[in-house]
Formats: sequence, structure tokens, C-alpha cells
Amino acid sequence: MASAAHTVQRKRVLRAPTATRLRHWTLRGAAITYLVAMIVVPVAAIISKGFAGGLDTFREAMASAGAWEAIRLTLVTSALAAITNAIFGTMLAYVLVRYRFRGRGLLSAIVDLPFAIPTLVTGVMLVAIYGPNTPIGKAFGSVGIQLMFSQLAVLLALCVVTLPFVVRTVQPVLLELDTAEEEAAQVLGASAWKTFRAVVMPAIRPAIAAGALLAFARGLGEFGSIVFVSGNIEGRTKTAPYFIFQLTNQFKPDQAAAVATLLFAISFALVLVTSRLVRTERKEAKA
Amino acid sequence: MSVVLGPPRLVDVTPGSEEMRRRGRRRALVRGAIVAACLLYLAVVLVAPLVGIFLSAFSEGLPTVFETLTAPEVRHAFFLTFQITIVTLLVTTSLGAVTAWVLVRHRFVGRRIMNALVELPLAMSPVTVGLACVLLFGRGGWFEPWFTARGIQVIFALPSMILVTIFICIPFVIRSVAPVLEELGTEEEDAARTLGASTSQTLFRVILPNIRWGLLYGIALTTARSIGEIGAVLIVSGMLKGQTETATIYVLTAFEERMDTEGYIVALTLAAISIVMLGVIEISKRRKIREVMG
Amino acid sequence: MRAPRSGVRLFAIAAVLAIVATACGSDSGDGSNASGDGACTPSDTPVLTFAAYSTPREVYGKIISAFQSKWKEEHDGQQVIFQESYGGSTTQAQNIVNGFEADIVALSLAPDVDYIVDAGLITHDWTTAPDEGMVSTSVVVLDVREGNPKGFQDFDDIAASGVGVLTPDPASSGGARWNIVSIYGAAMHGYAGVAEGDEAGAQSLLTGVFKNVVALDKSARDSIKNFEAGNGDVAITYENEVLTAREAGLPDEAVYPPSSVLIANPAAIVDVNVDKHCVRDVAESFVDYLHTDEAKEYYRTVGFLRPTDIAAAAAGDEEMGFPPIEDLWAVEDFGGWDALDEKLFSDAGIFTQAFADAS
Repeated sequence: MASAAHTVQRKRVLRAPTATRLRHWTLRGAAITYLVAMIVVPVAAIISKGFAGGLDTFREAMASAGAWEAIRLTLVTSALAAITNAIFGTMLAYVLVRYRFRGRGLLSAIVDLPFAIPTLVTGVMLVAIYGPNTPIGKAFGSVGIQLMFSQLAVLLALCVVTLPFVVRTVQPVLLELDTAEEEAAQVLGASAWKTFRAVVMPAIRPAIAAGALLAFARGLGEFGSIVFVSGNIEGRTKTAPYFIFQLTNQFKPDQAAAVATLLFAISFALVLVTSRLVRTERKEAKA
Repeated sequence: MSVVLGPPRLVDVTPGSEEMRRRGRRRALVRGAIVAACLLYLAVVLVAPLVGIFLSAFSEGLPTVFETLTAPEVRHAFFLTFQITIVTLLVTTSLGAVTAWVLVRHRFVGRRIMNALVELPLAMSPVTVGLACVLLFGRGGWFEPWFTARGIQVIFALPSMILVTIFICIPFVIRSVAPVLEELGTEEEDAARTLGASTSQTLFRVILPNIRWGLLYGIALTTARSIGEIGAVLIVSGMLKGQTETATIYVLTAFEERMDTEGYIVALTLAAISIVMLGVIEISKRRKIREVMG
Repeated sequence: MRAPRSGVRLFAIAAVLAIVATACGSDSGDGSNASGDGACTPSDTPVLTFAAYSTPREVYGKIISAFQSKWKEEHDGQQVIFQESYGGSTTQAQNIVNGFEADIVALSLAPDVDYIVDAGLITHDWTTAPDEGMVSTSVVVLDVREGNPKGFQDFDDIAASGVGVLTPDPASSGGARWNIVSIYGAAMHGYAGVAEGDEAGAQSLLTGVFKNVVALDKSARDSIKNFEAGNGDVAITYENEVLTAREAGLPDEAVYPPSSVLIANPAAIVDVNVDKHCVRDVAESFVDYLHTDEAKEYYRTVGFLRPTDIAAAAAGDEEMGFPPIEDLWAVEDFGGWDALDEKLFSDAGIFTQAFADAS
């Protein structure tokens, strides 16, 4: 029995014994049922509800006050947050990989914090330190900058929540990058910046792009922190996810579903693209 | 890879030369500036807020903190979060491990689609997840008649809150175990088989020990995520105080009721719990990388 | 290659545990005391689910406590458990119709209760209760910044250009509809710069106000909190909300328009649910309690709510800081909610048109 099963590496060679095939199919059945029941069914419900009436439901939803502004705000702030974190994330990855100092582990942990902390708590924290009744909030308020309950607040919340993405995609690439090339460049007389631009950047550029796209996709759906810090003002600080929430509260689930489908179609496409990018990158790096 | 540096300049690059010393100083300055910029950024987005919530939670002193954390409504909220997290862990860990196995070790039509499906919850806003649950189990929903006929309450009750949390957490265990399984290869399992080990022996003595850090990493991420869920549970819960109010929902309603300090206290507690989970995440991440590298 | 059978076993165990945990959870989740179908055996510790609009949390917290103590005394120490839920009045009503099993509702306005009646969940005539089923009243006020820096006096002031107005979303909040009715009625009575009976004038006043709306929050409580967070110049809200905020130490200040609608809040039991949960006695007792003098005192002192008699409400209350209202009128003046709903909120309604013009 053992040897027969052992030779079945490619199933076309020998038919596996019934018991094994039964196990295969039970496991596979379990996995498929799990994914279909838990993922396919809900998604099907959303798409069918949203577009059962064709594009009309979507048009109706987008006719509500502040609808287009919400989509625009979400897209713009997510993009800005992704870019900000692309810059700082790359710097952080560089610091974590190339520099040696005490507390490097702690820094790494702090960078991962947004993955662990509840998004609502992130929002609460931001208001606690930058709210209109705090010293910092009042100071900025006196020069006319409203830190919380504003578009700036939305951007800030998204920066916190999407912080780890670029760091985590760039870090492994930097780790695998052979420092010999950088050192060679410096010996040949290149300045630090030139070395970085010509040697390091080309290698990490795809990783930065992947991280930034993931950060963007994540930002599109953010709710917990924004609902707390933005003030949810029509046409100014209302985001797309809050708009979906609002439509659900108004018992317009079909309209909510239409907008939700648009939002998650964009995110899903991005996630798939970057998944493939990251995977092929990892394979290339190993080659 | 070739590097084009432009026409060569005539620079004295012997070690110890004036130029190299200057370069070294500049490099140190640049390094300092980069580190400073990073630290400043982290201070603004993470450290300062953490300080802020700490101060706000303790703004009314220690007794208020104790009072709040022992209040029945708060204790129930934490208990509810705990219940949801446990069930989510059970389901996503066991089925997630099985799914990871199937995705890595089996070859079949539709495997790539399954792989894509696993990524899907990561792309969905939590409000969309809540909406999906309402569409399925709310009045007029696809499954609503079946449950109503049997007197089972799904929406505005615990089951829906568990379901949305499971949906959101599906990818974590799968994505952390699959790469480990892939890197591991089948050699050890095959070896065990040829040596006559039974399937359960293989599972417990060979496979599980090999994937344990990947598994723990996925479990830690799942736990942190379930504890922190707000968007989806808010939509499906009905926000019954002391009944369908999770810890996160409690924070939201506390602020609505102008009980700001209580809100800060519970929020800080959640932050503390997630920091502990972060510790587990970091440790298991490092061990997992070692696992993958073999 | 063999796959581990134990994977399947694990799955089975997990599934069973999950189902058990969920079943345990849902038992305590729906608060059902009925023994299935047919016979109704009241529980030893009845659990009542109470759904109210977003603003009276503080007062109902107190009233419920008082009722629980009272019931305990009168019924051999029997403990009654209340599960409270607060949110936008219309959202609450819709949730109940969609399956939220509330036993008692205390909503912002009668139409929201009627919505539940129309769905067949309330089967008795709740208006036969004392005060036509109303338990508390309030008036519509303008919540302004400390010192009223922009000098708002009436609704036409906030319709002026450049003013940021906060008022909740009429699709989810009862308070929102009271606000709209109040603006309409004041205009029709010849206040707020509109000639008496001038419907077109009332409509353009509404357009002006809603052009200035900065946010349409999902409930009255969310709306005032948004205002307190620094957004907008004025929030249209309930008098009791502003006084509750002041009680909590906030700098909200109320400006009383000379003409306002009497906000009347109804409460009723939801027949289908109380029978299902076997809590009819306790529930009816609670609603009766809400009409007693003891409860009225709580409404007044904790809730900052006015008495249900319109003359008494108009006279004000010096001790509590309720000023008298020059022109306090009820929805009956305009034919009741049915007529107002038709006139204002129907497809061709005055508000519907005004809101469309404002967008």
C-alpha cells in the first residue's frame, strides 16, 4: 500500500487506491465548500443585488448628495496615503535592513502595529492627540488648520492604517539584494544618492509599486478609523465606504450593493495584480 | 546587471583621502537625516497617538479605569468579542489549514480560481461584508426564510457577527501556512510514509511541527483582526447594549453617549491586547521566515 | 500521496464546536422566553428589548433603573432585564420591521410607530394610552456656538448664504423630520420672514436651509456631536439635546425660534414580539409606568423634556430653564402627520422639491 501510494506523484501514472482518492476528495470538498459558502455566496449576493436592475440602481445611488465626492475623496486620499507611505516605507525598509542599531526589533514591531491595532482604536488615538480640544489641535486650529474632522484627518488615518504595506514588500527585496554592487559603485566613486538611484532603486521599484498598490487597495475600503476621525461631512469628508454604510442605514441595500461592487472590483483587481507581482518577484529573487 | 555611472570623474578615492573623509561625513549626515525623518513620521502617526490615548484613558484617574473595566456592560462586550474570536479561530484555523493543504499539495482544475478567492476578503471593505450578510440573512434575504422558519435569529444576533468576522479572517491562516507548506516540500512527509507512519502520525509528528510558526502567525493575525472588527459587526449587530455590543462597538457608543473617558479606557485596553498579539505576530513571523528558508 | 485524514477530523470537530457555540450564543441572543410554539411560559427573569431614538439615552437609563427597582419590590424580588438600543428613530422602526425583535419602542415621532403598525407587528391601538400614547415632548431649537456669535434668531437667519447648518438625515432620523416640519409650520404661521400661509415662501425657506447643510448625520445624536466637534455654525436639534449637552459641561447654547412645533414622542409595546417572548405583562407595565408622574419627573429633570400638555409645554419651566414659547403648535394644526407626510415628504411634497432644489 505504502509503495503504491508513494509512486503516485503524477496522478496520471497510476490510479491511486480508493481510500486515498476518497481522502483527497473529502479534503478538497471541505476546502471548496468552505470557500464557496463563505466567499462566493456573499459576493454573488452583492453583485446580483447591485446590478439586478442593470445600471439604473448604480445611477440612482450616485445621484445622492455627496456620492461622487465620496468616491473622489476615497480615491484621492488613498492614493496620497499610498504615495506618502511609498516614500516613508522605502526609507523605513532601508533603515531596517541596512542600518544596525539597538532597538531595530522594536522599530520593526512599531511598523507592524497598524496590522494589529483595531482600526477604530487608530481613529480614537488620533482624535485623542490631535482633536480640537487638545493642545496640538488647538494650536493648529488657531492658524486655521483643522486636524481632525477634516480631509486632512482622512489622509492621516489612511497613512497610519496603510503604513506597513510598502515596508513589508520592500524589506525582503532589500534583504536579498547583494550589497556588493552598492559597494562597487561607491568604490568607483559614485555618491550615496547616485548609488541608490542606479543600483538599489531598479531592484526595489517593483516592490515599492506592489506595496503602494496594496496600500491603495486597502485604503479604498477603510472604515473603522475614518468613521471616527472624519466627521462624515457630505461632499467634504464622507468617504465611499461610509457612503455604502449610509445607504445601508437608509435601507437602500440595492444601491449600497451597486456602489460596493464598484469599490471592491477595483480593490480586488489591484490585490490580484500585486499578488502575482509579489509572487513572481519572489521566484525571480530565488533564481 | 550593469551599472552606468556616467563619464568617470577624476576623484581621489584612496581610503583616508580628503574626498573619502568628506564622503564619509556626508554619508553619515544623510543616514542621520533618513533615520530622523523616519522617526519623526512614526512619532506623528503612531507614537504620539498612543501617548494621547494613554493620557485620555487615565485623565480621570485610576479608579475610573477600574470602574469602567469591571462594569457589566463592558465585561459583556469583551466576553462577546472573545466568543466571536474563538469561533472565528476554530473555523478559520482548521478549515484554513485544510484549504492551504489542498491549494499547495493538490493539482486540479480551478485551483487558480481558488487561490484568487482566498485573496478576495482582503479587498472587501468591512461595510460591504456587513451588507452581504444583511442581503443574505435580513428580511427578504436569500437564506432568511429557512432560518426564520426554524426560529433562528441570525441578523441582530451573534451568528451574523461571527459569520462576518470569519469572512474577513479567511485569508490569514491560509496565506501564512501555504508558503510554508510549499517551501517544505513533500520529502519529509514521503520519508515518514515510507518508514510506515500512519496519516495521523505524519500529521502530528511531521507536518504540524513544521508549519507551527506559520500557523501561529496566521492565528495571531486572525485574533488581532477579529478583536478589532467594527465595520461589518456594526451593520449586523443592532447594537443592543449589553447584548450585541462588542468591545469595539462599545467604544463607538460610549463616545456617542458622551462617556468619552470610558471610550478611551476600553479603546486603550483593546490597543494593549493587540500589542500583545503584535508580540506574538513578530516572534512567529521571524520563526516562520526561518521555517520557510528551511 | 496520501492526504491526512486527521484534517477532515479536525474540520468535523471544529464545525461541531462552531455550531454549538453559535447555538449557545443565539439562545442568549434573541432573549426568547417562549417554550417554542404554542404555550407561553413566562420566564423567572424576563428580558425586555427596548428600542428608542438616539437622544433620550440618559433619561431612559434612569427610568429603566427606577422601573426595575419598583418591579422588584412589587413582585417578590423578580429581576427584569432590559436590553437597550438607541439609534435614529426611523432606522430603529425599519430594523424592527426587518426582524429586530424589540418588545418596547420609544420613538421620536408617531409615524415611525405607525410604520411598525403597518407591518403588522403592533396590533393594538396605541393611541388610546394616556396623552394619545405620547410620553414626552420637546421643542425644536437652534444649537449655536457660545455667545451666539452670528446672532441667529430664527430659521431665515440660517437660510442666509454662507451659514453651515447641521441637521440629520430624514431617511433615518426622526429628529430630522421634526426639524423640517417646524421650519414649514413656522413659515406658514408667518414667522421666519415668510408671509402667513405662503407655501411657496415656506418651500424656498426650506431650500435655503438645506442648501446650507454641511452633513446629514444618521441620527440626531450624531448630528449634535458633529456640531460639537467643530463643524458648521448651527445645528437644528431638540431642546432636550442641547440641555443634556450643557449638563455634560459642553458649551452648546440654545436659541429658541419664536414659532416651533411641539415635538411629541410616543411609546408602545410591540405585540408580536412581546407575545413571542412571553413578556406582555412586564412590557405593558413598563409602558404604563412611562405615563406616571414619577416617570414624568424623570423626563423633566433628567431628560430635559417638556410635559405632554401643550399649554404647559408652551408656558415653559423656570426651574429647569425651559423658556416659554411664543407660538407653540402641534402637528394637528396642519391636519396631523398623515396630512403633513403627504404635503411635505411625498414625491411631489414641498420638502422633496426643496431638497432637490438645494442639491
